[in-house]
Amino acid sequence: MGKKDSNVRMSLQTLRVLEAFLENPTVQLAGAEVHQRCGIASGTLYPILLRLESAGWFVSQWESVDPSIAGRPRRRLYRLTSTGLRRASEVFASFNRGVLA
Amino acid sequence: MSQRNERSTQPELGGVTHWLIHHAARRAPESLSSRLEEEWLADSESRSSPLSRLHFAVGCCWATMVIAADYPRSRVPAASPVAAARGFVTLIDRNFAYFSLRSGTLFLIAGLHAALFFGLIALSHTHGLATPPNLQNTVVDPVPPKILPPQPPGMEVKDWMVRVPRPVVPEPRNIEVEKDPTTEVIEKSQEPYSPPQPFETPTQVVQQVAGGPGAGFPETTDFYPSVSIHLAEEGFSTVRVCVDKRGRLTSEPTTVKGSGSTRLDEAALKLARAGSGHYRATTEDGHAVNSCYPFGIRFQLKK
Repeated sequence: MGKKDSNVRMSLQTLRVLEAFLENPTVQLAGAEVHQRCGIASGTLYPILLRLESAGWFVSQWESVDPSIAGRPRRRLYRLTSTGLRRASEVFASFNRGVLA
Repeated sequence: MSQRNERSTQPELGGVTHWLIHHAARRAPESLSSRLEEEWLADSESRSSPLSRLHFAVGCCWATMVIAADYPRSRVPAASPVAAARGFVTLIDRNFAYFSLRSGTLFLIAGLHAALFFGLIALSHTHGLATPPNLQNTVVDPVPPKILPPQPPGMEVKDWMVRVPRPVVPEPRNIEVEKDPTTEVIEKSQEPYSPPQPFETPTQVVQQVAGGPGAGFPETTDFYPSVSIHLAEEGFSTVRVCVDKRGRLTSEPTTVKGSGSTRLDEAALKLARAGSGHYRATTEDGHAVNSCYPFGIRFQLKK
């Protein structure tokens, strides 16, 4: 998504989204699944997903199904990048240090 | 009954949900519009209840506003130049629509207030400049200042009061002449003396004593003409003399009223001249002053 900016404004909702992906960094999650895991409303969730994707922390791709066969639209699946994984780990590590210290 | 109602409302809510998602995706950046619409439709299908889908669709409308704010024009990827142009125009339209939706209303209200304000100012200015026709083009000549003649140096009018010197009010003289065996000097003029009327009523009464023949005044017998004695002429002559403070004549005596005999009148004038220095000066409040007064001289033969 264009020029990537690795700096992401960290909010509680952003941390909860990252936490959902860090449980299994290799998993691809759609927005509906993230909503089920985090309980974040759509009005807040999709801007966060797009923000993280724009920052290069996430990559997204369409689900490899035929809508006519599946009888539903394709889902957009998100996945952590290596950069996203590293940065998200650093963010949580800093929070843990701060809390434990 | 309730199941029938639920079934009848499901298509309606589904239609609303699809319309909201489609509307929200259309207001998103052009590069994300189709993607978000498909993604949101797919995610909405995962919701179980229609109300949950409707809630999800409403959230998508809110998400569109946030995404539009997060994704400026430069960050929107363009798949092709045509798409880029379309996206640019669409962004302009959307930005303009967003601008007109919120700020536009504010600017419109502010503009209306400004127009009303300037209109009121212009109206008041117009009324302020309007003047009645009778007051227009009326030139009033300036009143020339009064030019006073310059005063001579050193003379300044202190006030407007004119100080008039106190008038001298002469009183009737009491002429005393020493008794003579042959002649008789009348002390008082036969004609009553009428003093000049003052212009104004004197504000101060002056005690004045008229003068007359005094000590050492010549005898009338020495001046009785011999011819008159032989002719037995008798008469009464009134002369007027002006005497200074010392009793001396200041001017030539004159005959006020003759006796009928020229010789007796001339003898009276000689007597008056000879008496210079022996007149009693007129006094005012005890002070001798210069004065003129008449007195009578009687030439009478002794019998």
